[in-house]
Amino acid sequence: MNLIQRLKIWKELRRLEARVREEPSPSTFVDLGQVFLNLDMQERALQAAEDGLLLFPDSAELKKLRTVARRGVDRARTDELRARIEKNPSNRLYGELVAILAESGDAGSLHATCEEWSVRFPHDAGPFLWLGQSCLQSFYRSLASRDGIEAVAALERAIGLEPKQVRARVLLAELFYRVGATQRARTLLDAVPSEGDDSELQNLRRQVAAARSLGSDVEELLRSAEENGLLPNAPPTAAVASRGDDGIAAIRDSLAAIAEMEGVEKAAYIRGTRALVKGDIKDGKDPFLRTVRVVAKAGHRYSRRLDVGSFKRGVIQGPFGVLCICCYGEVLAAVQCSADAPTDRILAELQEVVASSLYAMGVSQ
Amino acid sequence: MNPIQETLEDLRHVSGVKGCMVVTHDGLVVADSLGPRYRQDIVAGLSSYLAMTTNRALAEGGLGKFDSFVLHAAHGKSVFHDIGEAVLVVLMDQFADLEQGRHELQSAAQRLRRSARLG
Repeated sequence: MNLIQRLKIWKELRRLEARVREEPSPSTFVDLGQVFLNLDMQERALQAAEDGLLLFPDSAELKKLRTVARRGVDRARTDELRARIEKNPSNRLYGELVAILAESGDAGSLHATCEEWSVRFPHDAGPFLWLGQSCLQSFYRSLASRDGIEAVAALERAIGLEPKQVRARVLLAELFYRVGATQRARTLLDAVPSEGDDSELQNLRRQVAAARSLGSDVEELLRSAEENGLLPNAPPTAAVASRGDDGIAAIRDSLAAIAEMEGVEKAAYIRGTRALVKGDIKDGKDPFLRTVRVVAKAGHRYSRRLDVGSFKRGVIQGPFGVLCICCYGEVLAAVQCSADAPTDRILAELQEVVASSLYAMGVSQ
Repeated sequence: MNPIQETLEDLRHVSGVKGCMVVTHDGLVVADSLGPRYRQDIVAGLSSYLAMTTNRALAEGGLGKFDSFVLHAAHGKSVFHDIGEAVLVVLMDQFADLEQGRHELQSAAQRLRRSARLG
């Protein structure tokens, strides 16, 4: 970019900054952010997006700008960290880099970086803990046994390298508990000192103590979870919250939280003929409910007759945005959201709602 | 080999893809590359049933038609892309990485849409 072009852009920038103050609107903030992006000033673009969102919290354009700018900021920070690691590698720098990659959801780069980190610092538990967490996240989202097995291997390696590593023990214990290897979860938790337990850990201890063991072959249990599309035990917090009122209160809260997510317009939980709705739905007569019911039923028929097991999830895109459906048997949870909404996260939340409600209904027993 | 068949054969090489087919909304097979595991008439019938039912349900809800539908079942995934008068159906195994194959699937759908218009 030559000097004249640069001067023109600076002039435009000053004009837009004045316009944002005088006539604030989503498009003026987006225009300003776009100029910052063109000038490679990612942080200023992020600032413009966040300032705009304070005034216009529902603007989809501003949310998109924030996502793009944040990605740019993360990229700049990761480039800087990689350059520093190249010169003088340290555990702290690798930790910072991997934390950014984890937050941006870049699992591929995270795995590659953890591998590099473990080669350079073979006695450090850090890379295996991060790797384990990343695989766990994928497992809870997809229930693919391969991810679960990788998570177990990485977390066990982290514990082997650092036997006092509490986080790895708790994550592994929670995974063992959720797939039904309760005895193994108990053994892991017994080695964690109980002083300073937070409420989540207390809940986990309580539920692990009460849960029935389904076996101790974790690989087998992971495969069975994948096959059934369901984990036998609900997450610690959800299960405790679901006691009383047939678990409906907890489902209502979870559904409300989903309806608050970025881009979500309608959210529904349907069990048989009963439905809970949140978001832009007036009542149980909303056509959205009938649409998702019909699609889920057709999905069930299609999957069963094609002999590919039961229908678990569906993502439908069209001019209306995206419909996400997650179901198990007669229970289903569904969302209508905008095209740029984080569908993976929404599906994971819907799956959690379905799994928690089945747990509350006692299906897992 | 016609361009539609060629596109389907290319798609078969994408990781995780077990078979693919172009089927009209009323269940007539335009072209397929399915392999021995699947029966053409069953896949065509079920795909047209799912696509038609979904579109009808969406239309009744005032939502129009779908552009794409990704279905996850316990032992497999199916992806449906609307290509105008017909639907591209891609059958995948349960471990297939949809993110990785997204580009190939979308460009195949694009090519088929173009072929369908020209034909």
